[in-house]
Amino acid sequence: MMAKRTIKDHLEIEDLLREEYFELLPVVRRIAMQLETEIRSLTLSILHNLRPYEQLVVKSRVKECESALNRLLGPKEGRTFDPDKPGGYSLLQLPDLAGVRVLVFPNSRLVQVDDALRNRFVDWTPKPIRYGSGSAQVRKYFGYCDEVSQDIRSEYQVVPMLLGLFWEVEHDAMYKFRPAANSKNMRSQRTVVEDSLISFEKGMESFVRDNIGK
Amino acid sequence: MKKSDILRRADYCYNFDRDLWVNPKAKKAFSVEFVDDKPEGEIVRHIEEFTNGNGWTFYFNIKPSEGVKRTLEQVLG
Repeated sequence: MMAKRTIKDHLEIEDLLREEYFELLPVVRRIAMQLETEIRSLTLSILHNLRPYEQLVVKSRVKECESALNRLLGPKEGRTFDPDKPGGYSLLQLPDLAGVRVLVFPNSRLVQVDDALRNRFVDWTPKPIRYGSGSAQVRKYFGYCDEVSQDIRSEYQVVPMLLGLFWEVEHDAMYKFRPAANSKNMRSQRTVVEDSLISFEKGMESFVRDNIGK
Repeated sequence: MKKSDILRRADYCYNFDRDLWVNPKAKKAFSVEFVDDKPEGEIVRHIEEFTNGNGWTFYFNIKPSEGVKRTLEQVLG
């Protein structure tokens, strides 16, 4: 039997976490596949009834190794694991090693998609994300795919499509780049973009309602 | 002058992995949060303040633990 390793220094913490990541990876991949398949199946009837200008895209992702380590570190100054932290670190503390994002356009379809998923994921914990300058929220839920693992949490989000596509760029530019994330100017610019996207979505909905009908 | 310009002029480089402004020669490191929260004058004062240069000096809003200091010293060289 292999002797239990002890955490002596920072590099060893990171290496042990990377080791943990690759041990968990096959299961995390299965969770992502399970979640994506279920969500595709539950939203299939909506997909078949979309109008030509409407869209519904289901994307799954497995958190990358370094991204998982960074998330575990959190917003701590110096971005450094503390070798003296009681209890140590584990990637199982993360809520989103596997995730699915459902991108929907226009917003009138969001509630429909959300409702279609809620019965299946009734025990998942909601944690909405606010965006823009108003009260707009993205629906986000955390929970376990018990069929695959009762240890690894995952998440799914139902996101306005334009916002989701913007986040794909913004996430790397701001969320993962601290000076930009801390910059009041950049935060304000992000809000301006999000408000514009909300405005475009609302405009499209009004246009369809006034010119085409429900 | 912007705080980032003050730091760059004093030979501080931005460390993307740790989100720190670092000057290995002076053995000083400023966290991004510290730089954001403190006025320019205070940053200049800390840049100029004398340290014995034996170990690293970390300017953080929340004092880092001994373990984190030890680790950073190891990583920053």
